[in-house]
Amino acid sequence: MLEVKSLSKSFGGFIAVNRADLAVEKGEIVAVIGPNGAGKTTLFNLITGVLKSENGKVFFKGEDITGLPSYEICKKGISRSFQVVNVFQRLSIFENVQISILSRERKTWNLFTPSAKLAVEETNEILESVGLMGKKGRTTGLISHGDRKVLEIAMALGGNPELLILDEPTAGMAPEETSRCIELIKGLSGKRGLTILFCEHDMEIVFGIANRIMVMVRGGTIIQGSCNEVRANQAVQEAYLGGSDAC
Amino acid sequence: MLKSTLGGKGRILGGAALILLFLFPLFLPRFYIYLISIILLTGLLATSLNLPLGYGGIFQFHHAVFYGVGAYAAALMITKSGLSPWIGFAVGPFAAAFLSLIMGLICIRLSKLYFGMLQISLGSLVWIIVYRWYSFTGGDNGIHGIPVPDVISSPKGAYYFTLLVTLLSLWALHKIINSPFGSALQGIRDNPVRSAMIGINVKLHQLAVLIIAGFFAGVAGSLFIVVDTAVFPDMLFWTLSLEILIMCLLGGWFTFLGPMLGAAIIISLRTFVSGFTDYWTLPLGLLMMFVIFFLPNGILGYIQERLYRSPAEETDFVEQTVKES
Amino acid sequence: MEIVTAIFSPKLMSQIFVGLSRTVILFIVASGLSLILGVLRIPNIWHGSLYMVGAFMTFTISGVLGGGSMGFWMALILAPLGVALVSLIAERSFFQHLYEREHLMLLLLTFAFSLVFGDLVKMVWGMEYKSVPVPRIFQGSVHLFGGLPFPLYNVFLLAIGPVVAIALWLIVNKTKIGKISRAAAVDREMVGAVGINVSWVFAFVFMIGCFLAGLGGALVAPTVNVSLGMDHTLIMEAFLIVIIGGLGNIGGALVGALIFGLAQSLGILIWPQFGIVFPYAAVIVVLLLRPTGLLKSTW
Repeated sequence: MLEVKSLSKSFGGFIAVNRADLAVEKGEIVAVIGPNGAGKTTLFNLITGVLKSENGKVFFKGEDITGLPSYEICKKGISRSFQVVNVFQRLSIFENVQISILSRERKTWNLFTPSAKLAVEETNEILESVGLMGKKGRTTGLISHGDRKVLEIAMALGGNPELLILDEPTAGMAPEETSRCIELIKGLSGKRGLTILFCEHDMEIVFGIANRIMVMVRGGTIIQGSCNEVRANQAVQEAYLGGSDAC
Repeated sequence: MLKSTLGGKGRILGGAALILLFLFPLFLPRFYIYLISIILLTGLLATSLNLPLGYGGIFQFHHAVFYGVGAYAAALMITKSGLSPWIGFAVGPFAAAFLSLIMGLICIRLSKLYFGMLQISLGSLVWIIVYRWYSFTGGDNGIHGIPVPDVISSPKGAYYFTLLVTLLSLWALHKIINSPFGSALQGIRDNPVRSAMIGINVKLHQLAVLIIAGFFAGVAGSLFIVVDTAVFPDMLFWTLSLEILIMCLLGGWFTFLGPMLGAAIIISLRTFVSGFTDYWTLPLGLLMMFVIFFLPNGILGYIQERLYRSPAEETDFVEQTVKES
Repeated sequence: MEIVTAIFSPKLMSQIFVGLSRTVILFIVASGLSLILGVLRIPNIWHGSLYMVGAFMTFTISGVLGGGSMGFWMALILAPLGVALVSLIAERSFFQHLYEREHLMLLLLTFAFSLVFGDLVKMVWGMEYKSVPVPRIFQGSVHLFGGLPFPLYNVFLLAIGPVVAIALWLIVNKTKIGKISRAAAVDREMVGAVGINVSWVFAFVFMIGCFLAGLGGALVAPTVNVSLGMDHTLIMEAFLIVIIGGLGNIGGALVGALIFGLAQSLGILIWPQFGIVFPYAAVIVVLLLRPTGLLKSTW
């Protein structure tokens, strides 16, 4: 579904992403792992149009989406959550998700219908499915970090995507929040059939839910393969794992 | 709007205010009718500024340009062509909107402070042209004695016309803010990156806001002609732009009626203080400092905060508002 | 050869030099503004008022000291210092409490100060124009270009300009506090983490910047009518210069001041009625081509 070929990006003299490759099949859950600074977020930024790449290509469902701006990429069916929480802090949780849906429905040019009446059911549905229904009136600037990360995912869902890209979805979460988030991700893949691409630092989570793993070091892809392949790979062990984790 | 600020009581207050506004000319002396007319149209101007500023997060530092250009376009149309003044009044907003489009196209590629400064430099250019082109625009004298249709030329007539147009415009602006476009706009204000990622073409929406804001600034400009029968280059000067910014800040720039309140306070204050002394900018500066330090969300913003004492309360309130509409 | 003399006609050269003397004033004020903008991230609208206060104080000081040359020289030293002192008090009392807030608030606070000071100047000095006499050694003109007179005082300005520029460059680049300021411009948290009292760095930089505003006012005083409203036009020009030069970049302030000053004087030569439009048009051209300014900004 998603194919990244030889993508590169540098900032000044620093090469952040160095001919990275990635492949995600429909229905899969793929994880990108690597040490800090390996370029994972930059890679996601390149795929989703937040940054422009210098070399390489990105294909989505066979179509070349390299260099498209973010809002176009969203319309193709890719949604994303951010590592650093990016939500609408002055608006309520409800409105955050609602706007996502309204945007998908191309309604943002509607100047006169009260938006409070639109997309209410679907917004509630999503809020219910991620467990934020009880707090939907709260201003997002005031809710907990964990809730905000979940809201990120909820907003991404509003776009009714085929591919969901999650950048460190459990970063900064407390343990119960983390396990709830994992269940949520599993559910999204299982029940909704979403294809999911994510990156994480917590190896337990990665090996727990990913079908395949791509390992990045210093901006480049070392290997992409199944849990076992990755764990067995020499280069990965040297660069990163340095020990065994439960799988 | 008041409903969302003060709950059910808001409706009563709003209704009472409206009734008062309609009754004023019956018992107030002429000067006060003039003053309230000015407050109304300046409040409209400030509200139109607040669309990109408070709801859009755009640093619209030279909004007065659109007000002035709208007014001058209308004035020139009325005085130079043979056409009816009504056409002139209609031309004003469209000229302002057109200028917004042009300036917007130039400025929109930049953001935040750069946007503001570029807008000020473009606006200053427009001001200089108006100020220097004596033969066409009357230079620093402006244009006086603009003929206004009889039905609205008396102070009362001008007042009711201003009141009507202002109410209509506010209604339209309110609709826009509560529409999906308005929601998208606020999303862009809070987080442009996130907005883009959910499929919103940020720059295009911002450009649209600028055009709408410019349009209504032009409406205010046309109204000024009705009330004052004159236009001045000061209407385009950057100090006016900052003054209306202060009005938004004072009243509360995250609220709908804040700018109107701010306009009312500042114009009243200025009129009152000018009766005693020449030194108006001193109290204004001190007032600003007070607001900046103690009421950063403005008066209405402060009231709103006081009403929402806990998140639970706020949840109930918002849910109720959602249910109500 | 004739073409050369035709192009470099006396009138043109004279106008260029007039433009350059204007550049000096603009540079001095704009560099102060750029410094404050770059290090403290404050768009200092108050800067214009301080320039005006510098000019008015020069009037008073030189008047008090007899109105002669001595008076002017004393004023040239004391007025900017007075302005710097006032700015320090303001910064410590008010501005420093807002650093954590968004820029718009700081900008509006400086606007509030400019409103207050606009009236204070009116109260203290009244509404009429004031004149500051040119010190005796600079009275008169030198006949440089084909007999066209060029005021000696302007020659003085052309000499002072580079002096100030070099002094500023030395302070910013060669002194310890200058280096700390530059670091703070880029990463104030880091500077704080290293144990330096960033707050006092800011106070110092703000003072220097405002000193320059006062200096500009003092220097310009003998050449213009010292009047209310000189703050308004100047602050606009200074901001535009800083923007086209690159925020926080002193060299940029110089480039911007050159463009502005020369565009204005040449513009008047070409199209007297609208000559004043040329600098603004130049600004727009620059911003369209290089939106972040001609030189590197510290933002």
